[in-house]
Amino acid sequence: MYTLGIDIGSTTSKCVILKDGQEIAGTSIVVAGTGTDGPEKALTEVLADAKVSRKDLSVIIATGYGRKIFSAADGEVSELSCHARGVHHIFPNVRTIIDIGGQDAKVIALNEQGRMSNFLMNDKCAAGTGRFLDVMAGILQLKIEDLETQAALAKEAVKISSTCTVFAESEVISQLANGVSTPDLVAGICQSVAVRVGSLAKRIGIREEVCMSGGVARNGGVRVAMEKELGVEIKYSPIAQLLGALGAALYAYDKACSK
Amino acid sequence: MAVNELLAQLHEVAVSPKKQLEKYLSEGKKVVAVAPVYTPQEIIHSMGLVPMGVWGADMEINEAKKYYPAFICSIMQTILELGIKGEYDGVSAIVIPSLCDSLKTLGQNWKYAVKNIPFIPMTYPQNRKPAYGLKFTKAGYARVISDLTIATGAQYSAFALTESIKIYNEHNAVMREFAEIASDADITAAQRSDVFKSAWFMLPEEHTAIVKQLNEELKAGPKAEGKVRVLITGILEDSPSLLKILDDNGIKVVFDDVAHESRQYRTDAPESGNPMDAMAQKFADMDNCTLLYDPEKKRVDYIVEQAKKHNAQGVIVLMTKFCDPEEFDYVPIKRACEAAGLMHLNIEVDRQMVNYEQANTMIQAFKEMF
Repeated sequence: MYTLGIDIGSTTSKCVILKDGQEIAGTSIVVAGTGTDGPEKALTEVLADAKVSRKDLSVIIATGYGRKIFSAADGEVSELSCHARGVHHIFPNVRTIIDIGGQDAKVIALNEQGRMSNFLMNDKCAAGTGRFLDVMAGILQLKIEDLETQAALAKEAVKISSTCTVFAESEVISQLANGVSTPDLVAGICQSVAVRVGSLAKRIGIREEVCMSGGVARNGGVRVAMEKELGVEIKYSPIAQLLGALGAALYAYDKACSK
Repeated sequence: MAVNELLAQLHEVAVSPKKQLEKYLSEGKKVVAVAPVYTPQEIIHSMGLVPMGVWGADMEINEAKKYYPAFICSIMQTILELGIKGEYDGVSAIVIPSLCDSLKTLGQNWKYAVKNIPFIPMTYPQNRKPAYGLKFTKAGYARVISDLTIATGAQYSAFALTESIKIYNEHNAVMREFAEIASDADITAAQRSDVFKSAWFMLPEEHTAIVKQLNEELKAGPKAEGKVRVLITGILEDSPSLLKILDDNGIKVVFDDVAHESRQYRTDAPESGNPMDAMAQKFADMDNCTLLYDPEKKRVDYIVEQAKKHNAQGVIVLMTKFCDPEEFDYVPIKRACEAAGLMHLNIEVDRQMVNYEQANTMIQAFKEMF
């Protein structure tokens, strides 16, 4: 039995096809989120990757900001529940999830059974999100994937005091004008995200093990800064960006089994 | 009249305050605006005037920004915005109490920004329970009476106030009964909100008559089933978008600790003795509210007790942005809920909210935890 989870975020559409609720048969990531043709493209790509057709899918569950407008879905579940489910599937001992997406950040507490017991979301602003990193990478004329290698070269992270993305942009430009090195600035930017989202995590209470999910988890610079900020090891999966879609595919499997 | 007809009637009033204002004016009545959170409505009513609540509106703020920094509660800002834009024209005066710092600035700004509607201050004491507190409150009410007479020509009489106290106490009792019946009745969060909101735009005797009928119909009607039962706490819960999200997600509001709703109806004024003393006593007897000084923070236990009493599975805190008193109370509420095993959710709300997607995600995730 094949089930599909699709996570339609603000900037990216992600799909996971599960075979019998266990084995990942295919995945896709398309950098185009809700309101674009990204979800359809991601669906086409994941079917090709899993070498199955639409009629082979028993149930489709959508999650993410675009979850309510994806007409092909048989149901929708919030991204918080889906990330909790997806992370628990990969890391059964994780009790705290830090999920940083393109447009928001969330901290999810899990109980011993792996069920979500509490959560917090960031304020309605881009600080501490993937969007913040996109803007900063743009100012520094770097690709987003280069931030990790640049941060690793830093001698001393520069403190970015502004929590607002717009003000932080001015601050970074000022630091560039002062001759601060790009690696030190990148490390400061990663640290800024870690401090901002770390404070959210501290509000909910850190319980180990701790895992990062979402697109920003791919950035090792932020993961290292987060470990320093929280003083704990951060678990990371190479499919961190797909964990919401994986959770949705698991919910789809539940639904298929209950039919 | 059937439940749906009664609810439709109250909905119409809740969404059309201006129509209500015009109705009362056309009947030759004078209307006095009453700002949040507590004002001596019985006194206004006893002088033959119609008290109408002003709690702002969900809207963009432009003119009020000349008088306020960005970090002031949007309820205050939108009240001033509506005043400046002439939405309250026809009102004879506005009574603004001194119950929080933002309300104090509303009164000060009103004097300069809305010159055609006289501002009447109601200055409450911090310590409302001791004898000197009662005396202070009574002096504040005397000032309100004097200013109302200047603004409207209406006269005070102790006999009329005694009668008005009885009318308000009956309304309080009917609203308390409604809150209890609505706990299990099959009505939506939006319909429940309409019942409370419409009360601000109607004479209490008129509202009482409708809610009495509604209570009887609801008692005999079906019960809500299969919903996640929550207690809502906060200043305001009247945003149609937010209420729709609650309803769409199968959230049942089983009780509230909302300033705009149940907090208004908890306490009656004594019906015997000097009515001015009774009014001061009523304010002294009020409790369990963010804006009423309480070093023991009894409100926290009250929320947990009411949640348990009404079989709530969780508590949703609707946190009005920049409301310092509510923010101070949040931490003990959160801890008390956790200690009592109640799920809780904190959602920041604002009169200027346009995008509710984040609130939608939070409420859906909250429901999924059960």
